[in-house]
Amino acid sequence: MTDATQPTARSKTSLYATDARTKRRNAAEKRFRVYGIVAIATGLVFLVVLLASIVWNGIPAFTQTFVTIQVELPEEKLDKSGERDLEVMKKVSTFGYAPLIDNALAATLEANGIDSPFSKNKDLRKIMSASAAAQVRDAVLANPEIVGTTQEFRLLTSSRVDGYLKGRVTRDSIARDKNLDAEHLDIVDQLRDLGVVVKTFNWDFILGADASESRPESAGLGVSMIGSFFMMLVVLALSLPIGVAASIYLEEFATQNRFTDLVEVNISNLAAVPSIVFGILGLAVFIQFAHLPSSAPLVGGLVLTLMTLPTIIISTRASLKAVPPSIREAALGVGASKMQTVFHHVLPLAMPGILTGTIIGLAQALGETAPLLLIGMVGFIASDAPDTFVDGFLSPNSAMPAQIYEWAKRADPAYYERAWGGIIILLVFLMAMNILAIMLRRRFERRW
Amino acid sequence: MKDNSEGRKLVDQMDLKFEARDVQVFYGDNHAIKDVNVDILDNTVTAFIGPSGCGKTTFLRALNRMNDTIPSCRVEGDIKLDGEDINHPSVDPVQLRAKVGMVFQKPNPFPKSIYDNIAYGPRIHGLAKNKAELDDIVEQSLRRGALWDEVKDRLQESGTGLSGGQQQRLCIARAVATEPEVLLMDEPCSALDPIATAQVEELIDELKQNFSVVIVTHSMQQAARVSQKTAFFHLGNLVEYGDTDHIFTNPQDPRTESYITGRIG
Repeated sequence: MTDATQPTARSKTSLYATDARTKRRNAAEKRFRVYGIVAIATGLVFLVVLLASIVWNGIPAFTQTFVTIQVELPEEKLDKSGERDLEVMKKVSTFGYAPLIDNALAATLEANGIDSPFSKNKDLRKIMSASAAAQVRDAVLANPEIVGTTQEFRLLTSSRVDGYLKGRVTRDSIARDKNLDAEHLDIVDQLRDLGVVVKTFNWDFILGADASESRPESAGLGVSMIGSFFMMLVVLALSLPIGVAASIYLEEFATQNRFTDLVEVNISNLAAVPSIVFGILGLAVFIQFAHLPSSAPLVGGLVLTLMTLPTIIISTRASLKAVPPSIREAALGVGASKMQTVFHHVLPLAMPGILTGTIIGLAQALGETAPLLLIGMVGFIASDAPDTFVDGFLSPNSAMPAQIYEWAKRADPAYYERAWGGIIILLVFLMAMNILAIMLRRRFERRW
Repeated sequence: MKDNSEGRKLVDQMDLKFEARDVQVFYGDNHAIKDVNVDILDNTVTAFIGPSGCGKTTFLRALNRMNDTIPSCRVEGDIKLDGEDINHPSVDPVQLRAKVGMVFQKPNPFPKSIYDNIAYGPRIHGLAKNKAELDDIVEQSLRRGALWDEVKDRLQESGTGLSGGQQQRLCIARAVATEPEVLLMDEPCSALDPIATAQVEELIDELKQNFSVVIVTHSMQQAARVSQKTAFFHLGNLVEYGDTDHIFTNPQDPRTESYITGRIG
């Protein structure tokens, strides 16, 4: 008490003057704050650069150049018998249709008063996509009645012409390219001014199937999206129940002993195993041993399930642990059995965490490429959308990231552009899943 | 020990609820409860007092086998409820806990509605045949928990939204709803203010009409106020057990005297 009432030597310092020690402490704190801000700013800069470059490079992939022309469909070329018998008509291949398009293009030039520098109509073909003939053939086979008439078609131009309109291909670069000549570009310039050649939004990029190496203009991500969808169905249907059951058992029922310790350590280790290892495991077990079809989304889903399980188990256990023990005691105290306690009280409270973990795990699986390399889901898989639900699991398909990888690998710069565009679509899906996870968490989170 | 045998002479066998003989509780290698012998009577409030870490709560939890949930915990000796050994292999702890309800130190209502908090026990034990009966049980239990008037208009609101004292009374009502024979209370008032404490104590006094109540408390005043029997634990031993009046006015053991006069503990 005497210290407080009587002034002593210690109380000489003023509160207004900062002493050296405090100054040092404040300086250290300020430095630390600066480090933190610098770290966050660096991260943000990288993020912005990444997103900007993805959008910058990827957006052109969503548009495509089309030419609208009147194509004459002469009966003597397409259906000699005149019976409109589909089996007979199918015998006319795209080689039979290509000259019709050449002629139609030449007619369009003539009608618009554009001089063709080429002597033969066939030389105009380089403007068109190799898919154009197939487009016309498909239309004819779908509706044989149009044979003998002249129909308007909106046909794909070649990827070089498309690139010219997007600025990817220039007159300089064309000089070294035998796929297109400067004369073609002159024609394209005039047709564009007339509105015959237009660059518009291309749904086929989002909904269509992959195309061969020489036809980037008709390649789309849609079918691989379906492949990803079926894989995610497999992953969800397997990893959620298995993962949640395993976590509940380990967390709530299993007694702590060497065996459960071993299991726990191994689950944590599995989460860190490189994904390609799961791929080779899937190849050995599911394809070579169990003889499941290769390249099938079912196998891809099984492999990704193995990969996702540790993520789901770890997050589920964490959210089960976060449920206060007092809730378990309360339930046991009123005479609930262990299982009633878990299913009536603990699990509902852990649900937001479990769902978040599951969605994050699914998002991770959705973006995984490496294991798919080994089970044959990467490569040119010439498939259309599966006919039936079961087909979706069993028929060969690719997945979104595998398709992007495949495109990035191809030589044509038009595919490079499509790879960026594919990344945008993939990111949109991942973002949607993460937003869903956040919303579920917000919606179901309960306080106690 | 001398007091125990004296106490037992006073016991009418009809009123005997719990009978504990040579109970030992171990946590791993730690011998937490040593040779405890105690008889707990029906329609009586029995208080367990003693310093922190003396084993009151551990012994209380041994009475409804809540210690089973702690993997390292081991209980030895005989604990009989109405003459039946509760640790017998054929006893399902779930059935035992339905008979021996428990209220915990910290109010722990389920994060559900007030109605569901009370109705949960009766539901899982099949005590109500239909909704009307269940409604009845909920009302009765909340009345017994002295909470009905405060919550009757908001039964569908969350139990966690109540005040601390109300939550604890909700927990008591929840324990009562399953029609137990014994109610174990582990420091039920430690998180409550004096007014809520008084309400809970009043409640305990009423509950002893129907139940045998065992209460662990740190407050000797509380033990003196609510209990008829008191047991004093020290370092895992049951030092003294007898009528509350007797223990507080004329303790036989010097340790008991030191504790209740505030010299140890």
